[in-house]
Amino acid sequence: MRRHLAIFLPLLLLWWLVLQLNHYLAPWRMFVSLGGLFIAFVALQLPQRIGLIAALFAGLICDASQPVHFGFHAFLFGLATVIVQRQRPRLDRFEPTTQRTIALLANLVLFIVTALFHLRHVPAEGRLVSRFLWDLLFSELVLWAIAPWFLALQRQALELADPLAASEDRRQVD
Amino acid sequence: MPSRRFDQARPFATLAIVVLVWLLLPVAVKSFLRVSFFEFEAPLEVSASYARDLQEYWGLRLHSNTDLIAAGRDMARLHAAYDNNIQQNAELRGQIERLESLLRLPSFPEYRSEPARVVRRDFSAWWQRVVIRKGKNFGIVEGSPVVFTGGVAGRVSEVRATTAIVELVSSPNVRLAAVVEGDTRPMSYQGGINPSFAPPKGNVEFMPLDIFATRTAPRRLVTSGLGGVFPPGLTIGYVVSADPSTDGLFKTGEVELDSRLSSLTEVTVLVPLEAN
Repeated sequence: MRRHLAIFLPLLLLWWLVLQLNHYLAPWRMFVSLGGLFIAFVALQLPQRIGLIAALFAGLICDASQPVHFGFHAFLFGLATVIVQRQRPRLDRFEPTTQRTIALLANLVLFIVTALFHLRHVPAEGRLVSRFLWDLLFSELVLWAIAPWFLALQRQALELADPLAASEDRRQVD
Repeated sequence: MPSRRFDQARPFATLAIVVLVWLLLPVAVKSFLRVSFFEFEAPLEVSASYARDLQEYWGLRLHSNTDLIAAGRDMARLHAAYDNNIQQNAELRGQIERLESLLRLPSFPEYRSEPARVVRRDFSAWWQRVVIRKGKNFGIVEGSPVVFTGGVAGRVSEVRATTAIVELVSSPNVRLAAVVEGDTRPMSYQGGINPSFAPPKGNVEFMPLDIFATRTAPRRLVTSGLGGVFPPGLTIGYVVSADPSTDGLFKTGEVELDSRLSSLTEVTVLVPLEAN
């Protein structure tokens, strides 16, 4: 139970922080999306099944607070997690730099896929491109800035909740 | 070898099964899950808004007595002006009622004003919404118009137990009937794409050809009252350009909205009295 809380509570905290950030950025018409950070740790460091469940949970949290089909982010986060999990034997997955890079790349891809999906509902105008680029740039900058803290928080929470399982996860060969 | 291949594909197979199960789930179950997640998240969002209010309160406590005296004096002046407006308003209402009964006109719908604090602003490229701190517990109903000091803020799109979501007038999903001030011919207003670091924008369609508007001579766009959702005469924004549409029958234009729309802290929901 403690272990599950240690996995899910940081994700809930990240969701809350993103909401607050977007609240304060609204006067500048900016929007930050940090999907990559939700999945980076769970995909790289947790066992595959738990990682997938955590990603789906994070997706559902995001879905509930946004006007999208319920399950949209859950599916995207789940797919991104599975793809990263497939590649992780080739990566130095416990290295913070690798985790940060994966988070940035996953965020970029998730942002583009989400934008392509939403494009169907809004008129395609030139100013949409500038808005899209600003949001993407700012999202990546924010992610780059907070990723080390958040990834360390997830790691520490897991080690505090269940040190034995955390070291077991490290040893586990996929 | 095939076993290894399956091992590699197993995460994808698991995800595929999850997706299949999700697709087969009845809509009622998904709706229930969505509402459950939302209500689970609501206290977290609302607590942040209370914390902001407290922060503002302590910020205001730091103001000197001189500032408070000056603010009180300004408030007294405003109060006097509003008192005068209330008297005029009562007189005008009486006149409208008399004319309605004389001409046997249908009366405009009546509203109850419900002021509400903004919990969260959400200003993405695809939607612009705010979450307010009142919901079913205050009798807010879906579709109610929402106004602020600058005019129309939007309309209530979802109502939950203690919160409600307001789709802002700048959102591309909002469409309403509007008229240019001083004209009675209705046109269609729709929220638009909102670029970063610029005022919120919308678009207007089916504008009569004899209406002209430029950035130097903008025209005020107000609600028409058609459709029965918004009362007539509320400011939507200012038409700053009007160009002939491709069919040449009408004009299309750009509407500049109030820049305070993206920094709202308090709004008023106009709850139709019939709804209660």
